[in-house]
Amino acid sequence: MNKPLILVVEDDAPIRNLMTTTLKTHDYRYLVADCGEEALRQAATSSPDIMLLDLGLPDLDGVEVIRRVRSWSDLPIIVISARSEDADKIEALDSGADDYLTKPFSVEELLARLRVTQRRLAAMHAGGSPVFTNGQLTIDFAAGCAFLNGQELHLTPIEYKLLCLMARNCGKVLTHTYITQKVWGTSWENDVASLRVFMATLRKKLESAPGSPQYIQTHIGVGYRMMKIE
Amino acid sequence: MTRQTQSHGLRAQMVPRWQDLLVTLLILTAGTVIGNIFWQFAFTKANIISVYVLGALLTSLFTKSYFCGVLSSVASVLLFNFFFTEPRLTLHAYEKGYPFTIAIMLIVSIITVTLAIQNIRNIEEKERAALLAKNEQLRADLLRAISHDLRTPLTSISGNAANLLANDDKLEPEARQQIFLDIYDDSIWLINLVENLLSITRIEDGRMNLRLSTELVGEVIEEALRHTNRKSSEHTIRVDLPDELLLARMDARLIVQVLINLVDNAVKYTPAGSAITVSARAVDGFAALSVVDDGPGIAPEIRPHVFEMFYTGEHKVADSRRSLGLGLALCKATVDAHGGTITLTDNPPHGCNFTFTVPLGEVTLHE
Repeated sequence: MNKPLILVVEDDAPIRNLMTTTLKTHDYRYLVADCGEEALRQAATSSPDIMLLDLGLPDLDGVEVIRRVRSWSDLPIIVISARSEDADKIEALDSGADDYLTKPFSVEELLARLRVTQRRLAAMHAGGSPVFTNGQLTIDFAAGCAFLNGQELHLTPIEYKLLCLMARNCGKVLTHTYITQKVWGTSWENDVASLRVFMATLRKKLESAPGSPQYIQTHIGVGYRMMKIE
Repeated sequence: MTRQTQSHGLRAQMVPRWQDLLVTLLILTAGTVIGNIFWQFAFTKANIISVYVLGALLTSLFTKSYFCGVLSSVASVLLFNFFFTEPRLTLHAYEKGYPFTIAIMLIVSIITVTLAIQNIRNIEEKERAALLAKNEQLRADLLRAISHDLRTPLTSISGNAANLLANDDKLEPEARQQIFLDIYDDSIWLINLVENLLSITRIEDGRMNLRLSTELVGEVIEEALRHTNRKSSEHTIRVDLPDELLLARMDARLIVQVLINLVDNAVKYTPAGSAITVSARAVDGFAALSVVDDGPGIAPEIRPHVFEMFYTGEHKVADSRRSLGLGLALCKATVDAHGGTITLTDNPPHGCNFTFTVPLGEVTLHE
């Protein structure tokens, strides 16, 4: 199998070393860029599989890099941010980033995010099918029904809509704003609170152990993500 | 509170609010009615003048506004002239002394109003200054605690790294492994400390500046448990939630941090294999969240002090750097800011029960 090629965009040398060492020891190939312009050049010429992007770059704002890459490519982007303010992550995700990591992050966390993205890539290449399968969950988009362990799930229309939205973006963190816009067309505070309730009822039907959810992950203050299960 | 009075004070100085104008009008009307009663009883006019001056004073006290005070003074004089000087119900006056009476009435009234408002402003200013000082004190205390807490792990990390740089080849593999572990542990400890800094940056005007939203308590607990200490794998952590969904109004980031601090403490101060339960219940309009362990517990005489800023309990001597004081003090500050309470009780037969409350929230569902 081809080793995935990761483009590491980070201006801070020690962190860049940490990431490249981690990648090297786990059999990834990698490229490095220490500024936004260089990142865009590498992304265009070397066609990496995944981009790890630091938001605080010396020349360009990280969000600007995401916007430019998104204008011509679906290259998965994992944002790395030292800013703990949720607003930055949300802006990056809404601009087209797939996932985020907050500094300080652990090596295991970095590897886990890469695996999630790789699985998403694999699923995308297989994609386009009218039936979605993830672990024990199956959604038949054409028939408009979902099954867990072969049993049909009894979902309300909103729950089904949410489930389909999460499934179509499996592996990607979806922000509250994105989801409420898609489901209700608006994004007011009450919509977000409603979303939490519907998500909770959906998860009750979906998760066997609600304490440690398998399918849908919560990102407090940011949004939700459906995990790709092997 | 300070913000409100401040902006209120500024606005009142320039343009009065309609409420203030209403108060002014009411007091003037009341003054005129009382004056009329005095007139019926044939009291001297000095009494009526006093009533109007008192009215102007009350107006300035209630509205805290120069404009309304002066308006009230001028209106009083005109009303007095209109209703209570011969010829009545005109703005004329026959008696020779009236221009003086009226001028003096106006001057007394305006001076009274000015003095009253200055007095109010002075008191408000002092309160603001006191609050600001308290605010600064809190921040200074927290920063002092933190810089103290930063030194020890930083010394350990830099010293250990220097050792590795200089003597890498002379060290036994086991010794090296221990150094790596120490560096790792100390940096993790620093990371947790930095997370707590967030709570401090939210302190403004002597209180925490909350970003409230309606959150699901279950989600908040789940998020907190994802960030707790890696040593928690040696402990059994159980989550106990009610069947119905529990919604609460909170600043989710800060409450997650409170839960992390409480669970990390439970992990740190109980032996491996202990059971920790995180639970939530609705109690009298509040969501009560508890972190309960079956460890050795905390002696009753120490319990009242655990939420104090620098309190580190009996562990002070054994392990000076693990100053829990800060974490629990921040928990208390955060919960207080939410209008809730945090308590420490026994978990019979042995162990701690930390319980805190935040107001319940509601949501209208959009189907």
